[in-house]
Amino acid sequence: MPGSSTVNFDFEEHRLDNGLRVIIQPDHSAPLVAVHVMYHVGSKNERKGRTGFAHLFEHLLFQGSEHVPREGHFKYIQDAGGTLNGTTWFDRTNYFETLPANELELGLWLESDRMGFFKPGITQEKLDNQRDVVKNERLQSYENRPYGLAFETVLRHAYDEGHPYRHPTIGYMEDIDAASLEDVHEFFDLNYGPNNATLVIVGDVEPESALEKVEHWFGEIPSRPTPARPIVPSPLGRGERREVISDKVQVPRVYLMYHSPSYNDPEFEVADTLTYLLADGNSSRLRQALVYEQQIAAEVSAFTWPTESVGMCFAIATARPGVEVQRLEDEMRRVLRTVCEAGVSEEELDGAQNRARRGLVQQLAGFGDRSDAFAHAAVLRGQPSYVNESFSAYGAVDRGAIETVARDVLSDDRLTALHVVPEEVGGS
Amino acid sequence: MTVDRSQRPAPGDPRPLRLPTFASAKLGCGLEVEIAHRESIPEVSLRLVLEAGACHESPAKRGLAELTARLLTEGTGDRDALSMARWLDRLGASYDASAGYGTCTISMHFLSDVLEEALEFLTATISHPSFPEADFVRIRDERLDEIERQRDDPATVADHALIAELYGEALYGRPIAGTRETIPVITRADVAEFHTSRYGGAGALLIVCGDADEARFHDTVEGHLAAWTGGGDRAAPPEAPAPKGGEVVLIDRPGSPQAEVRVATVGVPYGTPDHHAIVVANAILGGLFNSRINMNLREDKGWTYGARTSFGFRRGPGPFVARTAVETGVTADAFGEILKEIETMRTELVSSEELDLAQHALTLSLPLQFEGAAQITAKVARQRINDLPSDYWEVYRDRIEAVTPDEIREVCRRYLAPERLTLLTVTDADAVGKGLERFGALDVRSAT
Repeated sequence: MPGSSTVNFDFEEHRLDNGLRVIIQPDHSAPLVAVHVMYHVGSKNERKGRTGFAHLFEHLLFQGSEHVPREGHFKYIQDAGGTLNGTTWFDRTNYFETLPANELELGLWLESDRMGFFKPGITQEKLDNQRDVVKNERLQSYENRPYGLAFETVLRHAYDEGHPYRHPTIGYMEDIDAASLEDVHEFFDLNYGPNNATLVIVGDVEPESALEKVEHWFGEIPSRPTPARPIVPSPLGRGERREVISDKVQVPRVYLMYHSPSYNDPEFEVADTLTYLLADGNSSRLRQALVYEQQIAAEVSAFTWPTESVGMCFAIATARPGVEVQRLEDEMRRVLRTVCEAGVSEEELDGAQNRARRGLVQQLAGFGDRSDAFAHAAVLRGQPSYVNESFSAYGAVDRGAIETVARDVLSDDRLTALHVVPEEVGGS
Repeated sequence: MTVDRSQRPAPGDPRPLRLPTFASAKLGCGLEVEIAHRESIPEVSLRLVLEAGACHESPAKRGLAELTARLLTEGTGDRDALSMARWLDRLGASYDASAGYGTCTISMHFLSDVLEEALEFLTATISHPSFPEADFVRIRDERLDEIERQRDDPATVADHALIAELYGEALYGRPIAGTRETIPVITRADVAEFHTSRYGGAGALLIVCGDADEARFHDTVEGHLAAWTGGGDRAAPPEAPAPKGGEVVLIDRPGSPQAEVRVATVGVPYGTPDHHAIVVANAILGGLFNSRINMNLREDKGWTYGARTSFGFRRGPGPFVARTAVETGVTADAFGEILKEIETMRTELVSSEELDLAQHALTLSLPLQFEGAAQITAKVARQRINDLPSDYWEVYRDRIEAVTPDEIREVCRRYLAPERLTLLTVTDADAVGKGLERFGALDVRSAT
């Protein structure tokens, strides 16, 4: 019957003497292993004038270290039949690979060289090259994409000057230009110690022997002074913020961002379920009203960002041709107000929960994604068991909780509204 | 004691590759069913492949197959679109139907606790869609909006212009989902007729993988779909268009801060005898991160976030495309480097180190490619869509490992001759500079 499925992954948690947190979750259903290292540092740790640095730094960690040649990470992992990547986010930076299970030690060797022996491998030439790559990434993924600058514009208005969440992870061009080799060394020393990291292993391994291997490769890396966590002021109480930008697009898009419960907050799952109820599936509130009934929106989405310090909940709609942007915003806000004032039905809540749980299972199915979920739960919540508990937490959301969170979160004084509108075409 | 870090640690004993095993069945209506049981996660992935793709529509109505697929959930029997949406959303299942060139694929993903109802939903959509006129108009208009919005994205503009350049009016030359010209002439009656003539058990394949035993899967499928009659035959694969090349197309998009860059030609079908040599050649040229083109343009020059090549294997000859996005000022240089790398593949033998890397990356990654239920059903669907032999994956490793440097040079000579290559870029014509003329007569067009 619906709602009876559940997940529970048996895992072990250890801490090496140098402070490295280690999580091992054996799963013998495929001959693979995921190795995932998450550092508790992200774009919110960047100082003024160095936006984008955490991400540029992530690129440099693929450029080799004392015992690993340039491009060695890619070469060794692909040669072993694995995949790899790294990502940077407001609160954390992660490096991960999924390998055939007999190559666990290859992953541990590469990740431990990165963590313990990075500095001898870095040069000005590598920094300059990756600076160019990252600037092209900014051009390709943001500046030359329709609506590509919307999120960074929302952040700039949602937070005060100096707030750690005010700038985008990719950073601004002039700051990417300003990064120096000295910055690189300093950032590494401050943030990349084993005691600021979590290593997750998911897959076809025996925990005891895997832990021995982890101790072998990581045990000798010395711990460092614990970095100070950035102070993240509450963004509440600033009142509604608004902005309009133009872009090379043909139809306007409305972004509504509400300050919401963070990933650490007991009400995170409630807010997240609310976004499923609002815009996931054709019967969801916003899609039903704007796409089916009024036919004023071409696309609608809603989601929360699982950020550590303060949360963000987005509702986004793209206008159909000829629809005035303010009317689209007004209608979105009318739908949100109806949820706050008239509440939700048991049936739509059930559906939202079932979709959220299906999404969760889909996200936990692969070893790589599951290692990512464990790392987030451990680093941002200090609670790796949240991976198992989240399933029932989403199941336990009730109408009262949804309605309370909706009234709290979807209030005008938490809102930053952005309109992206077509550029005025000059000339003809 | 210090750890010796000077060498890559030796791998442990390799674990055997376990390809999923499927139980096959054929229902009375002709529907073939492939079932694989996987219990580690309470999920089910399902894909239904039907002979209802774009090759079965009139070229003047390009997009009919896709519109039909998109309309399946917009009303069935006496349920209207909203009632269908509520049903699906209550199950928490995902449902995606989209047309390919030859076939249409319906993909569902759901938790195993809703298996029976998910199958019931699927059955309603494929056997009794009602295509209400108002919903037809809404979905058609949504597609027209989508076409307009795609013009905002320079990468999509480049890809659409490129296939038109290579294939013209032929099947592979236009987006499957239709164009501004073809979508408005499609009617509700066309959709209903397309469904009647193409949808049915005959010629269809249902692939299910996930957390339910084979008997339960089979009984559920049999219970719902045994009477799903009708269906359609497979069409012949499209022929290769007349060879062309030498075009240099610049699509002007004023104010673009980057250039989308494509170098392309008509490639080969899946069934070509030198298939595996092409796969390895592509990995070395531009398929892997450590490929020649990416190492050159990204890691050496720093001109781009990434550069890749691909051979689009299909039943007919899909395109070979090298693609990247670079700073506008180096557009001509980027074309020059891509052409140089292609030429080197045609004149020199690849090194044994590069060959080893490519072969290992392609074969040792097989367990990863078959990791989850959704990947497994996608692989089986692709095998069906492209008429791959049933032992394609069993022999894949041996075939890839047998490829030699001579064979790689030979396929590059055969398929990537410079006179066959089309060059295309989408960028700001004023900022791109003069350098493009050296590749041939420049054909400048407006992005709108």
